[in-house]
Amino acid sequence: MTSAMPPGWAEALLRLVLDSRDQASVSGDLLEEFRENIRPTLGPGAADRWYIRQVMGFVVRSTVVPALLFGGAFVARTALDWLQPPADFHTRSLISTLVAASILLVSGFYASWKNGTILAGGLSGIATTVLATLLSSIGALGLLVIRHDPATLQAIEASGGLGEVFFLPVMLIVPGVLLGTIGGAVGAVIHCRVRRCS
Amino acid sequence: MADVLGNFEQAVLLSVLRLGDEAYGRAIFNEVQARLDREVAAGAVHSTLNRLEGKGLLTSSMGPGTEVRAGRPRRYYKLSSTGRRALNDARSAVNNLWRGFRWPLKGRS
Repeated sequence: MTSAMPPGWAEALLRLVLDSRDQASVSGDLLEEFRENIRPTLGPGAADRWYIRQVMGFVVRSTVVPALLFGGAFVARTALDWLQPPADFHTRSLISTLVAASILLVSGFYASWKNGTILAGGLSGIATTVLATLLSSIGALGLLVIRHDPATLQAIEASGGLGEVFFLPVMLIVPGVLLGTIGGAVGAVIHCRVRRCS
Repeated sequence: MADVLGNFEQAVLLSVLRLGDEAYGRAIFNEVQARLDREVAAGAVHSTLNRLEGKGLLTSSMGPGTEVRAGRPRRYYKLSSTGRRALNDARSAVNNLWRGFRWPLKGRS
């Protein structure tokens, strides 16, 4: 038997994405497998990579729904701006900002409500925004492949250009963390009231 | 008839059944990998266990930890009567689909 430990940050990340009732048992399962099977078979470096891969799987699973909603909303807005350009973007911007903020708040709330810590909400904000950035970039590229006639290219320029489509989601990571943390604060309070945490 | 079970859900339920009193997270994870003969993510097994427990097909209880787990407890799973019925329904559905065919199928595709 080995007393080796996986990377501490990965263990901390794992605990942040799990329901509070599963934190000890699931982290124990992964630690047991890491020590008894993976590390003796693969060696220290590959075992650490295996552990990190497993944790990332938990992170992606915990945020896939809000990320799909966020990314989907962003692609829908992009498609609308390119294919049905408006005279004034104000209303659309307001609606899409409210939709994005709601998704991040609810995602942060849900993560912290399950986990019991505010940090889980912040992490949910980061993970949701990063995944949504990837999804919306893929979606925008797909749109560009399908529609790249002169009228569409003109509409793209009028709506802020390709730079905005691909870099705006990246710039949303910081607000994503903030909104996730705000939702998380509410979720953590309710978690504590319901489950009587200390 | 209960909800139709996916292949992965059946693999998890059958692993719980096969492991009996030793059906806890890590053991189920390894059993599912062995039966499906491929690497699976621990997160996929965990979320499936949670979903099946939420549907009432499994029940769970906590057990003591061991030194290799740094004292962290194990969560043991058991098949409920609803889970047993769902597995029987899934098997019966497959049998119905295959009725009248010899397995393995022969001839050119």
